[in-house]
Amino acid sequence: MRLRIWLLVGGVVVCGVLVGFFVTRFLNPTPPQIDAITTSSTLEGRPVVDFNLTTVAAVGTAGQGGGEHPNWVGYLPTTYLKVPAGAVVHMTIDQEDGQTGLRNEFFGLVRGTVNDEMTVDGKVMGALNPALAAHTFTIPDLGVSVPLEGVAANAAANAMIVVQFEFVVPDKPGLFRWQCFVPCAAGTLYGNGGPMQTLGYMAGELQVG
Amino acid sequence: MRNRATATRIVIIVWLVAAIAGDVALALAPIPPGQASDLASNESFTIQLLAEIGWPIFSAVLAALFFTLVVNRLAPPTAEVSGDALRGNTRVQTTWIAATLVIVLSLAVYGTVALAIDQPGDGISNDSASLPMPTSTSQPLEVQVIAQQWWFTYRYPTYGGIETAQLVLPVNQKIQFHVTSLDVVHSFWFYALGVKADAVPLNDNVISATPTRIGTYRIQCAELCGLWHGNMADNTAMVVSPSQFAAWIQQETTIDAPIMKYLLPYSHTYEPSPAIYGS
Repeated sequence: MRLRIWLLVGGVVVCGVLVGFFVTRFLNPTPPQIDAITTSSTLEGRPVVDFNLTTVAAVGTAGQGGGEHPNWVGYLPTTYLKVPAGAVVHMTIDQEDGQTGLRNEFFGLVRGTVNDEMTVDGKVMGALNPALAAHTFTIPDLGVSVPLEGVAANAAANAMIVVQFEFVVPDKPGLFRWQCFVPCAAGTLYGNGGPMQTLGYMAGELQVG
Repeated sequence: MRNRATATRIVIIVWLVAAIAGDVALALAPIPPGQASDLASNESFTIQLLAEIGWPIFSAVLAALFFTLVVNRLAPPTAEVSGDALRGNTRVQTTWIAATLVIVLSLAVYGTVALAIDQPGDGISNDSASLPMPTSTSQPLEVQVIAQQWWFTYRYPTYGGIETAQLVLPVNQKIQFHVTSLDVVHSFWFYALGVKADAVPLNDNVISATPTRIGTYRIQCAELCGLWHGNMADNTAMVVSPSQFAAWIQQETTIDAPIMKYLLPYSHTYEPSPAIYGS
C-alpha cells in the first residue's frame, strides 16, 4: 500500500516536472531583446535611433535557442526590439532571402513610414511589385508595413538588398507585435507554419519605452 | 396547516415581487450587443425577450426550491420511520406543463419566423458577381472582409476594389459583408453591429447589417487562428456620415493608387498558390 502511494506521488511529480518544462520551454520562450542604437540625429525634435536587421533563408546556429531550427527562415539577430518612447526608428534591413511573392498584394504598398516611403538600395520607393517580395516588416497596431524585396534567383552568390525606412513610435510606452505577411515558411502547408508561428523568426515584439 | 398556507402566500408574494422587479430591471438594462445596427437591435431584442420570459420561470423554480427546503423541512426523526407517502397535485402539474408548453411553442414559432425573414439571400455563396454601386440606402453596399494571419483587410468593389486596413462604413446604409480568408479559418466579429461570420479559405460567407450609430468600434477575430490570434483585433473601425465616408473613400483611393495595378481583380474568394508558398 505504501509503495503504491509513493509510486503515485512520484508519478505526479514527474508529470508536474514535464508539464512545467513544456510550459516554460515551449509555450513561453523569450528570445533575446536588443536595444536600438542611439544616434545624435533628430527629426522634428524627436531622437532618431537605429536598428539593423538581416533576413536570411536559414538562420543556422544564429537562430533562437542556439540553432534549434537551423533551416528556418528568420530575422537576425532577433525579433525582440526595444526603442525609447517617441523616437524615430531608422530601420536598415539587409535582405538576403529570395523572392516568394505576397499572398495579399495589399502589403506591396509602403504604409506608416515617414513620407510613406522606403529606400531600396538607395532608390526611394512607395510600393513594391508584390511578386518581388521576400518578406514584410509590419506592425499592425502602428499602421507600419514595408514590403522587402527579395534577391533575384539569378543574382550573384551572397547578393543582398538593403531596405531602409523610418517610422515614429508612440510617445507612451507600449508593446507592439510585428510580423512578416509573406507566408514564407518553406516546407509547411501554404508557407504558414514553423517560423511563421514561432516567436523569434518571422514574428516578434517592439517594446516602446 | 395555517402556517403552511401563510408560508405559501409569502413565498408567492416574494416570487411575484422578484419576478416583476427582475423583468423591470431587464427592461431597463443595456442588453448586448446594443443598438448600433438593425442586426444588433434584433439580437438584443431576442435576448431581452428570452430573458424576460425566462426570469419569472427561473425565479419560480428558486421559490419552489426555497419553499420545499424551508417549509417542508421536518425535524430529524428520533427513530427510523418511513416518510409520508408522496402525493401529486394534478392542478399544479397541469398548469406547469401547459404554461411551459405554450411558452416553448411560442418561442419556437417566433424563432422560425425570425429565421425565415432575417438575412434573405445571405449565407455561403460562390457567386463571384459583384453588386452595382448602391443608388439608395436600401441597396446593400458590398464590403469584402479578407482575413489573413493576423490582420483583417477590406475591399470595396463598388469603389474600384480598393483595399484598406481600416474598416469604415456609412451610417444607415445596408452593408453586405463578404467574408473570406487567405490562409486558415478565422472569424470576423464586429460585436457592436451584431456581425460574426467565419472566414474560411475559398468560401464566401455573407452577412448583412445596417449600422445606425456613428462611432468608433472594435473588431476582432473570434476563431483561434495561430500565434497572434489574440492580437488580431483593432479598435479603429468606424461608422461615419455619408459625406465623411465619401471623403475617406477618396483619400484611400489616392493612397492605394500605387498598388492598384498589382491587386488581384476583385473576387469573392482568392485561390492560394501552393506552387509558390511553402515551397
